[in-house]
Amino acid sequence: MSDWIHRILLPPAIIIGAGAIPCYAAAYLTAEQAQKLCFAEATEFVSADVKLTREQIKAIEKESGVRVRLDVQKVWRAQAGGQLLGWVIQDEVLGKHEFIQWALALNADGTVRQIEILDYRETYGYEIRQETWRAQFAGKRNGAKLRLDEDIKNISGATLSCRHITDGVKRLLSFYEVALKK
Amino acid sequence: MKWRLRSEVRRCRPLLGTFVEIIAGGIAEDLLHAALDSAFVAIDRIQRLMSAHDPASELSRLNAEAFRHPVVVSAETFIVLRRALDLSAESRGAFDPTIAPILAHWGLLPARLKRKRPGSWLDVSLLPGRKVRFSRPLTLDLGGIAKGFAIDAAIETLRAAGARSATVNAGGDLRVFGSPINVHIRHPAAPQLLSQRIELSEGALATSCPCFTQHFWRRCKVSHLVDPRCGTATTRTISVSVRAPECWLADGLTKVVLYDPKAARGLLAKYGAQALVLTA
Repeated sequence: MSDWIHRILLPPAIIIGAGAIPCYAAAYLTAEQAQKLCFAEATEFVSADVKLTREQIKAIEKESGVRVRLDVQKVWRAQAGGQLLGWVIQDEVLGKHEFIQWALALNADGTVRQIEILDYRETYGYEIRQETWRAQFAGKRNGAKLRLDEDIKNISGATLSCRHITDGVKRLLSFYEVALKK
Repeated sequence: MKWRLRSEVRRCRPLLGTFVEIIAGGIAEDLLHAALDSAFVAIDRIQRLMSAHDPASELSRLNAEAFRHPVVVSAETFIVLRRALDLSAESRGAFDPTIAPILAHWGLLPARLKRKRPGSWLDVSLLPGRKVRFSRPLTLDLGGIAKGFAIDAAIETLRAAGARSATVNAGGDLRVFGSPINVHIRHPAAPQLLSQRIELSEGALATSCPCFTQHFWRRCKVSHLVDPRCGTATTRTISVSVRAPECWLADGLTKVVLYDPKAARGLLAKYGAQALVLTA
C-alpha cells in the first residue's frame, strides 16, 4: 500500500430512475422460527391474537406515550405441557422508509425476554458512474429485472437509529399491561 | 439432529442504539443459533457496562463519582479506557472520549451529561487495581470506540463457539472472518445513496459521517462529530472509512483521520490500517 489514506472526490449525488432503485432486504426469521428461538423449551405456541378496543388503545397510548397504529396484535402463548412460559408478540414499526417486522418475547411475569428482528428492508439509490458498482452486476443482467436486493448485504456509513424499536417495546409493554396480564 | 455443514444463519437485534446483524456459518444450524445467542449477549454486556445513555451503566457511575473518589471498574471497561486514552495520546487529542458535554449542550446526548468547564482526556487517570479517577468533573463517552469493542467481543464469541465464518455488522461498523464480504459505503451527501464498494475478507471496517446527525442548534449547524481540540462540529460533506484488523481500532481511527489526517498517517501505518475518505 503506497498511501495509507485514499481520497475520492465523488460526483454530485444523483438519484436515478425509481425502477432501478435497489433495496437492502433481509428476511431474518419467520414468526415460527422466532417463537422457537425465544422459547426453546416450549412444546406448543397457541395463537392468541388480540383485537384492541378503542379504550384499550387510548390506555396504551397514554401509558407508553407511543401511538398505536394497528388495532389487531398478533400474539402467541408459549406453553410447555399446558404451563404458560410467556408470550411472543409480532409487531411492525416504521424504519427509515419501510416497515420493520419484529417480535418481542415476554416472560410469564411480563418482563422482556428477547427481541428479534424478523424482516428488515431499506431502499437505496446508487451512483450510476460507480464502476465497481456496475461491475458487480456484469453477467447478471439478462433483460430480466435486477435482483439487487441479493447483492447488497453490508452497508457502511451513517448509522441508522433503532429508536422506533425502543418505542415499540414501550408500546408493547403497555399492551401487555392492558390486554395480556391476568 | 441434522448436521448440515454448509448452513448459515443470519439474525438481527436492536443493540448499541442501532441494528446489529450477525451472520455466521460453517457448523450445524442449532450450534450456530446458540453461538449467535452468546454473541448478542456479549454485545449486550458491553452496552450495559459502557453506554453513556444508560444511567445504570458502569460508565455513568464513573461520570457521577470518579471526580470525587477513584472508582473500580470491570476488566472490559478498563481495557476500553486504556485503549481510548492511548489513542488520545497517540493522536495528540484528535481522538478524545471526553467531548460528551459539547454533544449534550447541543441536545445530541442526554442533558445530565452537561458539564460547566469541560476537561479533556488528560484529566482521566487509570490507577492500579482497575481504578479510574478524574481530576475535574468530566463526562466520558466511549461511543467512538466501545461499539467497535462490542463487535470484537461478538466476533471472539463466535470464533470460540466454532463458527468457521462470521460477519458482525452494527449499523455499518463491522468485522468479518472466514469468508470475504462486500461492503457498500453510503454517499456522504445523501445517505440513501450508495457509493463505493469495498471487499473485506478479514478484519474490520468502520465509517464516520456527519450526514445523519446534522441538525441546527441556535441557527448553527452541528453534528455528533466534534473536533476535540477546538470544540467545533464537522458539517462538511465527508465520510471517513477505516479498515483495520480490529473494530475498536477502525472505529477510533475514523475520528483521527477526520480531524488530523497528518497524525493519522503514522497511526494507520502503525496499526496496519487504511482509510478511505469520500468528499463531494
